[in-house]
Amino acid sequence: MSNREASVLSPEGCVRNPSAAAVAGKYWAIFRTQLVNSLAYPIDLLGRSLLIVLFMWIFMNLWQVTYGATGARSIAGLTLADTMWYLMMAEAVMLSKRDLSETITEQVKDGSVAYLLNKPFNFILYHFAAGLGDSVLAFGGNLIIGAAVVWLMVGPPPGLTGWIFAGAAVGLSWLLDFCFSALIGLSAFVVEETNAFRWIYQKFLLLLGGVLIPLDFFPAWLQTVSLNLPFAWIIYGPARLFVDPSLARLGQVFLQQGIWLTVVGGIVWVMYRRAAARLVINGG
Amino acid sequence: MGAGHPLCRRPDKLLSIVANQRPFRETTALTVLISNFLALCPVRVDNGLTTGSRLGHGALQFGSISSQCANFYRNGCLAMNAISVRNLRKTFQTKRKAAGLSGSLRALWRPAFQDIEAVRGISFEMEEGELLGFIGPNGAGKSTTIKILTGILHPSSGEAAVLGYVPWRQRQALAFQIGSVFGQRPQLWYHLPAVDTFYLFGKIYELDDGSLKRRISFLAEAFEIEELLETPVRKLSLGQRMRCEVAASLLHKPRVLLLDEPSIGLDVVAKQRLRMTIQRMNELEGVGVLLTSHDAGDIETLCRRVIIVNHGEIVYRDKVSTLKRRYLTVKTVDVRYNEQLAPDFSLPGVEMLKVGRYGAKMRFDTRKTPVEPVISGLAAAGSLADVTVSEPSLEDVISAIYARTEA
Repeated sequence: MSNREASVLSPEGCVRNPSAAAVAGKYWAIFRTQLVNSLAYPIDLLGRSLLIVLFMWIFMNLWQVTYGATGARSIAGLTLADTMWYLMMAEAVMLSKRDLSETITEQVKDGSVAYLLNKPFNFILYHFAAGLGDSVLAFGGNLIIGAAVVWLMVGPPPGLTGWIFAGAAVGLSWLLDFCFSALIGLSAFVVEETNAFRWIYQKFLLLLGGVLIPLDFFPAWLQTVSLNLPFAWIIYGPARLFVDPSLARLGQVFLQQGIWLTVVGGIVWVMYRRAAARLVINGG
Repeated sequence: MGAGHPLCRRPDKLLSIVANQRPFRETTALTVLISNFLALCPVRVDNGLTTGSRLGHGALQFGSISSQCANFYRNGCLAMNAISVRNLRKTFQTKRKAAGLSGSLRALWRPAFQDIEAVRGISFEMEEGELLGFIGPNGAGKSTTIKILTGILHPSSGEAAVLGYVPWRQRQALAFQIGSVFGQRPQLWYHLPAVDTFYLFGKIYELDDGSLKRRISFLAEAFEIEELLETPVRKLSLGQRMRCEVAASLLHKPRVLLLDEPSIGLDVVAKQRLRMTIQRMNELEGVGVLLTSHDAGDIETLCRRVIIVNHGEIVYRDKVSTLKRRYLTVKTVDVRYNEQLAPDFSLPGVEMLKVGRYGAKMRFDTRKTPVEPVISGLAAAGSLADVTVSEPSLEDVISAIYARTEA
């Protein structure tokens, strides 16, 4: 046996390093590996990002007519340029977030959940890290292409502060969206098929989350309802912060995201513990 | 768990055995060792993988002592079980629904459930470093048992200890000590080179960078995959991918490896290569292997002992050599001649299944009829064109064993 073999085969040759940094490092590694994985097909990545061009073109035509018809320079404090930049950010977040509920549901249905649960990581955090790795690249692509198109349509984007504030809020948006996805995905442990829940959640995001229309354009009562639901803080919060990057708004977005993360994250955690305990795995 | 090992009930005897071993005379290490023993009986002998950097200097001493302790157990002074299962049961509840629309509506109103007993009171042991075959037909309960042993499923009743851990209560801690490969569920990232997954697993198993690099280098050499590591997994052949899969599962130097159908879909050469590598790793590192397979060749080549399960129960357990001696004795011979056969063609002690004009199919039991006179008789009957000798399939063997246990 060579010296190299001897050193590797000895117990000291394979030392575990169970520090807090190592635990954090494993989720960073999952994130990074997913990031690299997403880069395996750059054309596909670019193709997915091109969808935002179509959406921005439709929105531009729609809102140009609307602003023209009202004759107002701004509606609810937003000019046409603000609205378009808002919608660009909203679409960039919406198109880059990964639907992990579908992944988790499929894993529960085909039994492959078993092969993740036997590794020394937290199943929920694993999916979050992997989802984030996928979202970051897609978000970058959507932002670059979306921003280029909207710049050509309505002029330059908001200042640097808007980018920084929105960027910070988008991180928490993904986390909050992930909690909802996990909630829907984990319900598969009980009901197996989760399409209905996913459909309802997506429609709530579209209508009450501010994907199609800035919530500022809603009637006062509907605006109040929307702002008191979590969906607004996944899409509307960061997008509105992008075009109006005030510290007060940043504080409001972070506070709302923090509250909903605690509530929904807590439910996810309890549900995961229960689901794992009553796990029934398909496929023998 | 305390009842798992006879010595757990006799700590005084344990103290005298351990204290009389020369390497165990250092008080600090002895205390740690004994407390470890009593806490995790049957003994959890760390190989340094978990203790090295966590406990500092004392732990390193303990690490080396515990390695000697492992050898002490392996040398037969005390039989040490890597897996210990007692009266394990798992019952699933599944919904039942009558056919058609009315059945669906009735199921909505008043759902009916049926209990499925996947595992019915299984008990067995696997020693550290043992290669144990765990086989059975589809739905026999082997996968359910393996999932209980990895801590993914909770049993309905019964006890199990894997390396001293109760799997369903200590799943995460156990995960650091075991590896698994499921032939039909790849764990390597499909679009990335295998080396990327290796580095990811290194992080997941919290290995330090230096030892991870050395470990990858060693496994790449042992599994002859140096040239494959940087090729995207989707470009590898199934045999190459499976070698990478098994290597990945050994990165953290597990003490027990669960291999579920590792050779499924592989050609003969790839199977042979994979078997040799598994055998080599067992010899080099003493990793215990619980192997499930539908391929009798896997069991025959790798395992000394085999457990056969069917309908959730163990229907056979013994050495593989005994299994072969008892059950793989019936040979079926298909023979074709260049000339016509006599219509009353027969051989003594051979059951003629079919006799045609130019060929015959027959069966004989090597325990009752020696092979040599049969072959001579076949050759004497005419000019041979082709001879095929086949053994019963594993499924046939299992059926035979199960029929025998039901009788």
